[in-house]
Amino acid sequence: MNEQLKYLQSALQKNPELKYTLVLNLWQTDFLRFYQSQTNYNISKDSSSLNATLYKGKKSCSFNIDHPDHPKIDAALAAALEMIDAMPEDPDFVDIEDDLTLAEPRQIVNNIEAFSLDKKTRFLNDLATRAAQYDFELYGTFICNYQRYHLLNSNGLDKTSTLSPIYLEVKAVHKDSQVTVLQTFGADDFKHFDEAAFGESLLRKIVLGQNPVVDVQPGEYEVILAPRCVAEFAQYLSFGMRAQAVDSHNSFFEGKVDQKLFPAMFSLTDDPADPRMIRMDYGDQGHIYRPLKLIEGGYFRAFMCGQYFHHKLGLPKNGNLGVCLKVDCGAAKLPDMIASVKKGLYISSLHYMNFINARETSLTGLTRDGTFLIEDGKITKVVNNLRFTERISRIFENLIELEDTAQTIPFSGNYAEFSVSSAKAPHARVKGFNISSSTRTI
Amino acid sequence: MKEKIQKIIENLAAPDVSFADVRITFTDYESIFFMNANLRDYSSSKGSPAIGIRVLIDGCFGFAGSKDLSDASIQRLIFRARANAIHGAKFQKEKLTFPELPAVSGEYEYKPEIDPFAMPKAEKLDYLQRLATAIKPAGKIVHSYAAGQFERQEKYYANSEGSFNHMIVTNTLPMMMVVASDGKQTQSRTWPGHMSAGRAGFELFHQQRFEENTERIIQEATDLLSADVITEEKADIIIGAGHLALQLHESVGHATEADRIFGQEISYAGKTFVKPSMLGKFKYGSDILNIYSDSTDPRGLGYHLMDDEGVPGRRVDIIKKGILMDQQSSRHIAHKLGLQPSSNMKASFADDFPLVRMTNLCIAPGKGSLEQLIASTQRGYFLDFTKTWSIDDNRNNFQFTTEIGYKIHDGKITGIVKEPTYFGITPEFWNACDAICGEEEWAYHSTFHCGKGEPGQVMRLSHGVAPARFRDINVSVKM
Repeated sequence: MNEQLKYLQSALQKNPELKYTLVLNLWQTDFLRFYQSQTNYNISKDSSSLNATLYKGKKSCSFNIDHPDHPKIDAALAAALEMIDAMPEDPDFVDIEDDLTLAEPRQIVNNIEAFSLDKKTRFLNDLATRAAQYDFELYGTFICNYQRYHLLNSNGLDKTSTLSPIYLEVKAVHKDSQVTVLQTFGADDFKHFDEAAFGESLLRKIVLGQNPVVDVQPGEYEVILAPRCVAEFAQYLSFGMRAQAVDSHNSFFEGKVDQKLFPAMFSLTDDPADPRMIRMDYGDQGHIYRPLKLIEGGYFRAFMCGQYFHHKLGLPKNGNLGVCLKVDCGAAKLPDMIASVKKGLYISSLHYMNFINARETSLTGLTRDGTFLIEDGKITKVVNNLRFTERISRIFENLIELEDTAQTIPFSGNYAEFSVSSAKAPHARVKGFNISSSTRTI
Repeated sequence: MKEKIQKIIENLAAPDVSFADVRITFTDYESIFFMNANLRDYSSSKGSPAIGIRVLIDGCFGFAGSKDLSDASIQRLIFRARANAIHGAKFQKEKLTFPELPAVSGEYEYKPEIDPFAMPKAEKLDYLQRLATAIKPAGKIVHSYAAGQFERQEKYYANSEGSFNHMIVTNTLPMMMVVASDGKQTQSRTWPGHMSAGRAGFELFHQQRFEENTERIIQEATDLLSADVITEEKADIIIGAGHLALQLHESVGHATEADRIFGQEISYAGKTFVKPSMLGKFKYGSDILNIYSDSTDPRGLGYHLMDDEGVPGRRVDIIKKGILMDQQSSRHIAHKLGLQPSSNMKASFADDFPLVRMTNLCIAPGKGSLEQLIASTQRGYFLDFTKTWSIDDNRNNFQFTTEIGYKIHDGKITGIVKEPTYFGITPEFWNACDAICGEEEWAYHSTFHCGKGEPGQVMRLSHGVAPARFRDINVSVKM
């Protein structure tokens, strides 16, 4: 056990009236950012932090110490002990996490070391040379993180976990038209990284990006949603599957457990065990993180719920976080799906989605990084980015078919703390997708 | 600390290093969150350290950051920053360069009226608990929160040109929200909206009249449950200052960050429709529209003596009489565009890489009060309190929904509408601006949460605005 964590735990054990949860987090990243087929900046960053939440009955307070040492721990603990009695109670608090189940041990390689900076720049140089033949330049990020955390609490929970996610995002942008196409790779093991296949897939998209650019009118379209879009819509839909959403009366799924809400082809699982995902061992309070069926054959099955809301709302506890979402495959082949569209759109990626009314799952957002017109079963033109205003529940209600294979899609948590997670989904054909306006720019 | 940072600069000196800078920050943070009148979270951190070292070698920046300020860590960071620059230069076509600046130095400390870190904790908790209790679930109100975040940051900056800066600031972010439900739908109201932060201490709660507005948001959230939606295709809208700050932020602020012109932000935040050829010519807005970036105004969160690459604080006209004049830029990009750097390179913490960021981006005031502006509007809507925002990755097509809209008929407020939504194309929208309220309505509206960059950073920044009117705006979104 880390010496600082042990020191704080020892100090807390002198206060038997207290309960506590402690998390030690050691994190580092190597981050190569590129634009116009060259390095933008190149970052190494590391941090260590010790977070503690103390409970005295129904009173609690938390503190965080970056780069902890004994004097900082002493000072933070003294301040917390002094103030905890003055804290107002939270009558809904019952107990801290009590699930002591340990995850199966996994061998985690430090991917920062597994794929050197030299190797990264060589790979990108080669890819840039190939893209340049079509007047496309490369933009994006190549990130490897390495994180070890140790979580323990006064209920006897004592768990450690290691993560080393890989996130590669390459956007190829045409020098003149600004048409953009996207290729990504996400995993926790470079053995899944097929450099040649990655390059070939990007080049196929670049070729499609050479088609003429047009605008389309707002209205309802039959669309082929790329796996990234399906995954992202599923993520937004899953907000309503969290116990917090029920508690704040913002859940579309409130009172709908075991109701059929979607076509039978739609199944959604929070699956941290899938080896082609960025895997997770535990939820944020330390509960074992196991696969959980959220939607099964169109039926809503379960809320994701931790200790606090389990006691407050009476929902079954599972500790799931919804950061490993997987949409089940269907039976269709992608070429056949495209061929079956008389006039419609292929949407590669989404941008800046935001709920209008979370309870109704209504939101707005835009297409990005490759929107294409499908005419008579063929991709014929590039379309300027489009705005949609939709209910996600309606998108999944309007599913026509799902592809027979799924792709792993990495997502970077860029808004606050930097993290990398993944989702997995196939292409989907959806009817009546509501395009509400055109952006008039790529 | 001054000696320490200057020693690091000395240690970075080498024949191959054409520029280097070092930042060190210490941050205190405290968050109090009451949900449904119960204390759900109290968390704090004190003196969180961070250091970032940036070197320019062979025309490429390398950076290394850490929370560990020990001598051994600093040696490791110097090695990593150098290695990152050297390796990064192997994937580069154009060497990054910019002119030298004269050395400057400065010290600044902002002292709030009520220091949130010095005042008794019980006093803070009592105040927020009273606020939370006043808006606790009852009647149609089913959920509520009242919260405060407090931050004090001490920053040291030094660079290889001899510049040095030491600055201490305190910021506060107060907020409260209620959610009403009739069993079928929910509607929410916040106070004072999403741009509620300020360069201030605990006095901000009093300045923003939280206690006086608890009844108002409860009533309005409840009334929204039975309110109509907008039915017209187009309408004249007056946008309240809090929401206009976000409209400015999204459709002018991010659009005029010059790193986006060159695609440096494509992979996450996006690009911009703005092109270098538009400078001095492009009609971005109507003749009454004047927008400036001003990091010299200490009232805003974007105030600094110098930015995070040593450029002294500046006021720069971004849009003058509706014409796009300048950009928010870094030293490198300003040099590429033939501009003076605008003093907009900022990082959230010392272990973050500096990026082109808004500081205090403001719309210059026009004339008259909000009351006069409403009185001069025959039919339309007064929209305020942001609910949803979204803009495309060229900062061209936006759509916003506010929590509430107030119907205007013959110059008077006659009722409310729920979830009013409008959309537009950036230059068309700003060219439709025909009135901006005067000094008496002008104020800073600030946020802690502007996300940009990878690894992600959230920046504290401000917008000085007064309510403004826009003619014939699309307010019909079919769904």
